[in-house]
Formats: sequence, C-alpha cells, structure tokens
Amino acid sequence: MKSALLQLDPQTRRQFAETVAKTALGVTLLPRLGGAASTAPGVDNRTLPGFGKARHVIWLQMIGGMSHIDTLDPKEGDTKGPADPIPTKAGYQLGGYLPKLAKDHSEKMAIIRSMTSKTGVHASGQYIMRTGYDPRGTIMHPALGAWAQQMLGKSSASLPSSVCINRGPDHGNGFFSAAFSPLPIHDPEAGLQYASGGADSLGKRLGLLNKLDAGFRAKFQDTNLKAYSDFYDDTLKLLASQDLQAFKLDSEAADMREAYGRNKFGQGCLLARRLVEHDVRFIEVAFGSWDMHNDIDDAMEDKGTVLDTALSALLGDLQARGLLDKTLVVLCSEFGRSPKINERSGRDHHPKVFSTLLAGGPVKGGTIYGASDKQGNSPADKQVTIQDFHSTVGHAMGLDVNEIVMSPSNRPFTVGDKGQAIAEVFA
Amino acid sequence: MKLSLFLFALSCVLAQPITAQEIVAPDGNAQFRTWRDQQGRTVEATFRGVEGGQVFLQTRNGYVHRLPLANLSEEDQKMAATLKPEGLGIPKDPNVAQAAAVIDRGVLLGLEKAGQKPNALASDEQFVRRVYLDLAGRIPTREETLAFLNDDSASKRANVIDRLVAGEGFTSRLYNYLADMLRIADDAQKAKFFHYEEWLKQQVADNRPWNLVVRDMLVADGRLLDNGAAGYLLRDRGMRLDNLSLTLSTFLGANVSCAQCHDHPFADWTQRQFYEMAAFFGATETYDRSMGRNAMRGLRGELSQQEFQQARRLFDANSLSIHDQAKSDLALPDDYKYKDGKPGDPVAPALIAWSKEDRRLKCYQTAEAALRKTDNEEIRREIFADWMTAQDNPRFAMTIANRMWKMVFGVGVAEPVTDLDDPEASSNPALLHHLGREMVRLKFDLRAFLRLLCNTQTYQREAYTAEVALGQPYLFPGPVLRRMTAEQAWDSCVTLAIGEKVDAFKLSRASTYKEAVDLDMSQITAETIREKLAQAQSLRRKADGPLGGGKPGKARVKNRRAAMMAESEEEEAASPEMMLGLVLARASELRQPEREGHFLRMFGQCDRQIADSNSIEGSVPQVLMLMNGEAQQVLSSSEALAVATAEAKGSAEAQVESLYLSFFSRKPSAKELETVYEEINGGLTPGELAWVLFNSREFVFVQ
Repeated sequence: MKSALLQLDPQTRRQFAETVAKTALGVTLLPRLGGAASTAPGVDNRTLPGFGKARHVIWLQMIGGMSHIDTLDPKEGDTKGPADPIPTKAGYQLGGYLPKLAKDHSEKMAIIRSMTSKTGVHASGQYIMRTGYDPRGTIMHPALGAWAQQMLGKSSASLPSSVCINRGPDHGNGFFSAAFSPLPIHDPEAGLQYASGGADSLGKRLGLLNKLDAGFRAKFQDTNLKAYSDFYDDTLKLLASQDLQAFKLDSEAADMREAYGRNKFGQGCLLARRLVEHDVRFIEVAFGSWDMHNDIDDAMEDKGTVLDTALSALLGDLQARGLLDKTLVVLCSEFGRSPKINERSGRDHHPKVFSTLLAGGPVKGGTIYGASDKQGNSPADKQVTIQDFHSTVGHAMGLDVNEIVMSPSNRPFTVGDKGQAIAEVFA
Repeated sequence: MKLSLFLFALSCVLAQPITAQEIVAPDGNAQFRTWRDQQGRTVEATFRGVEGGQVFLQTRNGYVHRLPLANLSEEDQKMAATLKPEGLGIPKDPNVAQAAAVIDRGVLLGLEKAGQKPNALASDEQFVRRVYLDLAGRIPTREETLAFLNDDSASKRANVIDRLVAGEGFTSRLYNYLADMLRIADDAQKAKFFHYEEWLKQQVADNRPWNLVVRDMLVADGRLLDNGAAGYLLRDRGMRLDNLSLTLSTFLGANVSCAQCHDHPFADWTQRQFYEMAAFFGATETYDRSMGRNAMRGLRGELSQQEFQQARRLFDANSLSIHDQAKSDLALPDDYKYKDGKPGDPVAPALIAWSKEDRRLKCYQTAEAALRKTDNEEIRREIFADWMTAQDNPRFAMTIANRMWKMVFGVGVAEPVTDLDDPEASSNPALLHHLGREMVRLKFDLRAFLRLLCNTQTYQREAYTAEVALGQPYLFPGPVLRRMTAEQAWDSCVTLAIGEKVDAFKLSRASTYKEAVDLDMSQITAETIREKLAQAQSLRRKADGPLGGGKPGKARVKNRRAAMMAESEEEEAASPEMMLGLVLARASELRQPEREGHFLRMFGQCDRQIADSNSIEGSVPQVLMLMNGEAQQVLSSSEALAVATAEAKGSAEAQVESLYLSFFSRKPSAKELETVYEEINGGLTPGELAWVLFNSREFVFVQ
C-alpha cells in the first residue's frame, strides 16, 4: 500500500525528487518532475486554440467582490447602477466607470459574463478564485503560477517565476515546494523588501561566512541544508543581477508613472509590466476595497477610476512594447454584487453570476462569452465555473489540464479541478 | 547468591515485548565486566560512573543500579576510580534509565536487522544546544552553555533534561507545537480566540495529561468567552465535517480526508463510515440561536451604521457557543453515490476500527453499550470522546507518542504523523507499538514522555550526516539534522538579544477581551450597546497594547518607552522589551500567528489555516530578511546582549569565543580562530561576526 518513499516526510520526499532531477539533468529549469504523467479523462485541451500562447499572465484580483453590473456587464432597467453604460467600438457596452477601457481597449478584451460560484464568503471565495479549489483544512492548493512552474519549469534564471504584488504569498505554492511560492511585493514603490545595499556590501561578510561554515556544510549530505545554500546563492545572484532593476519603479519616466495612476494598484500594474519584461511568468496584483455594501456610486467612482486608469495604461503599454501578444491579462474577483441596490445604496454579495475579463495573449478581442439574465441575477447562457475559468487560463499558459499531479499526501489534483477550458475566447 | 539477584529485586520489571538475543547491552553499551562486592557476590554490568560515594552499574536488562562505592571489592573500587564511564553518564532515575534502554534496544534491533550501525554519541556541545532547542524551544545562553560544559558531574545530562522539562521554556515549546497542529489563531469566526489560546497554554503549563486535554476539547460546552476548551470545535464552526476529518487525522492518525467526499482510494475508509463518525457530532450546535440576529435587526434603526457594524461583532463574540440538541441532523450528502444509502438519509453513529479484533477492546465495548443504552443524542459526543481518548484506543496513544518522537528526532517512526492506519508500514513497527504503550504507562504525561525520549542514547547520538536514501525507511541511528522551527529560531534570536529575560513577558488578553465584549444578550437596548462599545474601545487598546509596537525599522534605537512608562514592577512585567520595533518576547507570547512579514512568518510560521503546516523550507525573501532584516540588525548591534557581552571582553580571542558560545554553544576551533583573526586585522567588528554566525547554516540547523 505504501511505497517506501512514503517513509520520508513529504518535504524530504519533495526535496529528494528535486535533488534527483537536479543531479540527473543538471538543470534547475526543470519541467515535469516524477516521470511519466498520468492523465484524467477529459477533452485534450492541448489541441484547442490558444494553447501555450500566453507566456506571461498578469492576474488582477479585485478583493471584496467587484460588481459585475457596474463594470463588465452593465444593465438597463431596475438593476442599472448609478452610472450610464458606455458603448464600445467592439459593439458591447461597459459600465459607466470604465470610460478609458471602453474608448481604447474594447477590441483587445474578451469578457465572460456567465461566471458562477456557490460561495458568497470573502475568504473562501478569494481562495477558490486564486486556486480553483474549495478550501480544506487539510491541504493548500497551488495558484496557477506554481502549477506552471511545476509543469513548465522556471521562467527566469535570476528572478522567481511568480511574484505577488500588494498581497502576501499566502501559500501560493500550495502543496508544491516553497521554492514555488510567489515573491511578495507589499509596496510597489518600495520594491523588494530587504534588498537594498546590494551584493557588494555583503561581500566581505559572505566570504567569511562561507569559509567558517564550510566544515558544517561538508559534514551533512542533507538536501534541505543544500537547498538553503542554494537559496543564499539565488538571493545573491538576484542582488547582483541586472534583473533587480525590474523592482525599481524609479527608473520609469514620470509621465509613464502618472499614466498608470499614482496609487498602489496603478504602480503595481506598472511593476507587473516591468516583471514581464524580465521574464517573470505569473504576476498577481491585488486591489482591495471592492466590498461595496454602502453607497456604491461613490465607491465605484473611486475604485472604478483607479482600475480603469491602470488597466488601460497596462494594455496600451503592453501593446506599444510588443508584449501584449505573449501576455495574458486577467481581471477577476471572488464574486459579483447583487443586482438589487440595498437601502444603503450599496450592493451585497452575489456569487450566482458575475463577470471576468481576459485580454492579450491568444485572446480573441471583442468577444463576449456567455450572458447573465436581464437583471444580472443568474447565468442565462453558457454558465462558466471558476474551475472552467482556471482551466482556461491554465490552457493559455500551456498547461495540460488533464494531467494528474499527486500531492505529497498522495492525493490527486489537476489544474482547474476538472474544469473545461473555454477555447471560444481564443483565436 | 549472586549480586545480580538482589539488584534485580530492586528493579521495576516491565513487561517488554521488544525481545531478542542480547548481543550488546540494551542501549548499546558494549563494555561489560564482572563486578564483585565485598562479600564476593558478582554481577555483569557496564560502568556508568561514580558520584557522591555511589557507584552506578547498568545490567543487561537496562536497569541502572546504585550502590555505595565502599561495598565493592577493593580491586573494583580501584577500577571504578580509573575507568571511563560508559554512555551518557549517571541517570537520575533508574526507572527512566531502564525505560530509555528498552527504547534504545528497540531502535538497535531495527538498525541491526537492516545492517546499520548507530551513530557515535553526541558531544556535550552538540547535546546542550539540541536539548535546549527541543525542550526549552531556544538555544542556551552563553552562560548556560558554559555552566553545562564546565559541570563535571556524571549526571549532568540527566540533570539538564530534568530542569528543562520542568521549565517555562517547555511550555512555550510544546504550546507552539500544538498551536501549529491545532491551527491556533487569534482571529477566527469574526471573534478573538484568546480564551482558547490561554486555556491551552495553561493545560501545557499545568502538565495536564494529554488524554484529558483532548477529551475536554471534544466535550466542551458553553460560550468560548467562558470556556476556552470550546475553541477547538468553534474554530471550525459551520464546518463540522472538516473538523471531524482533522480530529481523526490529528489525534488518531486516521487518514480519512478523502472519505469526506468519496470512498478512500487506498485505505479502507468509506464515505459512509466517515458520516457514521460525524453522526457523533450531529446533535452538536456551534451557534447560540437563542440570541443574536433577531434582536439585532430591531436595533438597526436606532444605531448608526458604524455602531451597528460594531455591535454585530459583539454579537458574533457572544454567540460563539456550543450546546447539544436533542436530535442529530446529520444526513448523507446530496451527492452520495453508494448503494448503502441515499442522499439525505439520516446516519446512525458507529465507530471505525482498524481490525476486527479492535472491536473487542474495552473502549469499543463501553461505547457501544452506551449507545445501546440511551436514545439521548446529546451525549454522543461524550461517548465518542471517551472512546477516542481511552488508553486502549488502538491509535490515540500511539499517535501522540509518534508526534512527540518526531518533535525531538525530526522524523516520526511512522510518517506522515497523520496516517497511522497501518503501523506495520512504519520504519520500526515494534518501536512504534512500544512508544504507544509507554505513553499509556506514563499516563499521557507529555513532559515525562519527552524526558524519557531525551534520556535515550538514541537521542543523545550524533545527528545523521548522510542523505536519507530513497526507498529506505529512517531507522534512527541518531536524530536527523533539522532546520530550527520558526519559533525556535525566533526564540533563539530573542535569547541572543536579551538573554534569560526571554521568558519574562507573558501575554494575557482573554480577560480584558471578555470584559470588552461580554454582553447580556437578553437585555439589550441601543443604549446598552453604545455603552458597551465605548467601554470596548478603551479596553481593546489595552488588550493589544503590549504588542502594539510601531512599524519595524523606523529607528535604530532601543524602544524603552513602554518600560519607562510602567510604574510598578507588575506593570513592567506586562510590557515586553522592544528593539527596532520588534517585540522581544517568546513566539508563544506574540500574536497567533504573527503578522505577515514578521520574522516568524518569513521563517515558516504558518498562517494557522492548515494543520501541521509550519514550513522549514528556505525562500529568497527569507534569506533577504536574514541578511538585512530587523532581527539581524538587532543581533549585530551592541544592543544585543550576546554582542555587548563579547565587546566587553578584553582580547580578540575572548570576543570571538564569547560569540561562538552565544550563537553555536561551543568554542571556536583553532582553525576558525585563525580565520577570524585575519578578518579582525582587516577591521571586522564583533557585530559583523555576529552577522556571519547568524547567517551560518550551523546556526539554523540543529545537529
């Protein structure tokens, strides 16, 4: 029943696999550990359009529940929000708080208007949107950046493959190695924490450190110990690398910084673009305060404008730099908000139907996929689960959504928890 | 009459199933000789040492006998004066020595079968650092190390174990372990779980037997504000299936997490069995419906928006409560797909067993009799708790024994510790069973159990230096090399900064919190709510006060403001020391868990969402923090006691030695001294050397 390998604790086992891989293949940029992959029955997504066309993903997660009706799925009638919908060149309408996106970017974007979820609680909703799995007390599920690192290897020699901006890493590695955890940037203006000083100033002390510690390191043939020394090497490589510049927003021109908006989210999007330029594969940018139970007009005016400015600048900038074709930009939130405006002029939680946005990479611009009903209350056409959504993004990243990966506790998992990739949004 | 006969009469003979031909002594001592007393009686034993006119001899059964040196023959008295003591020195308690020897024998048998040899005994330097980290949760201070190294008594190892196991540091250490296992968090269910935390810490401090602690958690009734033990079930309010899954895997090593949603693909558990276990908790209500929302709604018009929101938090805190209803409402899930039931069917409680023989055990008989005897579903939870924590439960004692073993050896006899469904698949089944029986014999006294483990020769051997080979179970030639836990590393940093004062600050928040939120829900009006909120605000500040702090890294000066403001001694104890915005107190006396970005979190303290998920892995942000973070800044400045002590030394040699003793619990080798001298001539300061030692693998890895 139990293989002898299970005698080791999960971490040791995982590290062992990594060590074997490193020794056997001589590389750290390593795809698919653990030999032959097994697959779950399901449509082979690898033959569908768009597969692997997104080399980078910028994942914008609106924390608190973004109102679909006031942003991506505007309505007329009873449930219409305070602002009038805006028509776009692509033929669909956007919420009145997103004039820049409506004016300049409608033909780059695909909108899914039939997202649905069962969870109206913030924490678990955010978890599901981030991982594609329901939270459990017994295991942590990886975010897509970690899945990609598991299946495709590292994306950069000196920078981490995943970075999360304006949020903590919160186990983004899931049940994979800590080396897959996203590097957290709590404040885009401040950049990478504790990275000031650079490698040079540490040189003398590090030289002594390596000399004094050499005996101890030589004594133990322990993978975790070696991994530590590797982390020191990686860190020093990072500190000495030109890529460290990626974290420094100072080097951007003032008008570029203004264009994204001088706020944490805008600057986070700008940082995300810089990280794409430096081969980081998966960048999460979080933006809070979408829980608009009160006075939604005021709140949307505020947050919607920040989002509109930053996302418009990001899409325009990526295009101008020729990065949009290989970069998928994702806008999502844990759920939508109720069509009914409550007595405090706000909207409450609404997981039954909501919207997400995809742009760049293989996205077929100007697409509206699925629909909600007239009030924006329930899905009316082509319902899409969060699992489907994850499978779709994973698909664009080049991940086989049917490949079964065993957790260290020997439980089987797939990208997007057996959801279906929606190829119709891709060209 | 042979001497050994009367010695045997003294010994407490235990029924031990670990048997085999004895090639060497039970704990691996090899140097047997025949000892003779004044009357010519003889015994074959190894020499363990002489202290206070007594000679200590260990016979082949592991028992260590003490007798007056003068009783030995003249020749053997001379021998005792010259012979080097075997093994670990003199044990304090012959019964502990014998029990430790039996464990050692079990380990040696496992090694022998695989053709492996045990490691050499660890040096005093290795031992003292390891045992402080394992039993006090921190490295020893320079002074503690020196006191141990300079102690020439033969019983010093046993003495230090006894002292540490009884100390305050042990409470912190075990609490941290349990906090990770039980997902102890300040914030859950929109309320503060301070009562749960302080209750658990008190259980550890009082050394209450483990079976009673666990039973209390499972049967707790009433409000969390009144009964900390209720925190265990309330932690997962509204998620009773998840809670049960964790209960079974955490305390029984039953790997049922799959069966929560479908039949277990590897083990024998079915989804139906899972629901039958859940039925024991089917009548348990974790929300007090007698108050709350309805009363709240009436106040909506009378309170301002902000007051209403705050009032809801008051209700949340007061409604966290457990009671049992008359009937279970547990039913098979909507997607139940097996033939033995339909979705929505009610489920009767039934206990899982690992084998048919299990059902004959007294704990099963008692539980089944109790279920037959009454229709009262309110007491099902107690029936379950009695069964689970019974000393003859097939897995309960074994599971905690295996966990405690892992805590000090780095690897469990069975891995993972949450899956003991098949003990025969463990690395040493006989040892695993034996440890379970020892836990029962010691009446679930965790301090006594750890005292026993640390007195084994197996524990006191050198750490394993080779790679643990793939496909090979680890058989314990010694403990494995371990990275410090986040809490061990943090508590060690605090020790380096403030020395023995590390245990001075004790966090206490529950009573203040209760004062702030406690509400008589039957008598609420807008007025009483407003009063309460005003009172709550001032109290909340008080409760969080000691941990308030500023943002880290604002100023490079020691913040003594809090201490200066304190007038009485009592208040001084209530304010922790601070440096560079860091609250210098034990991890157990800080936020649970600490905030993201704190040393503890960066070093692997988990967010307490997943059981047993503290990480010992490195990361780039972690390394950046170790090289440039606040803790490192404190530890390489003269503010840190370890650095200040070194700086006060007259010679460079004494400075280096002082820092080595503080950080590594050993003196530097001649070669290390030479290397450091070169750098000192080049301008290296004690603070910079402290940086180097702090960033060494030797600092964070426990050998």
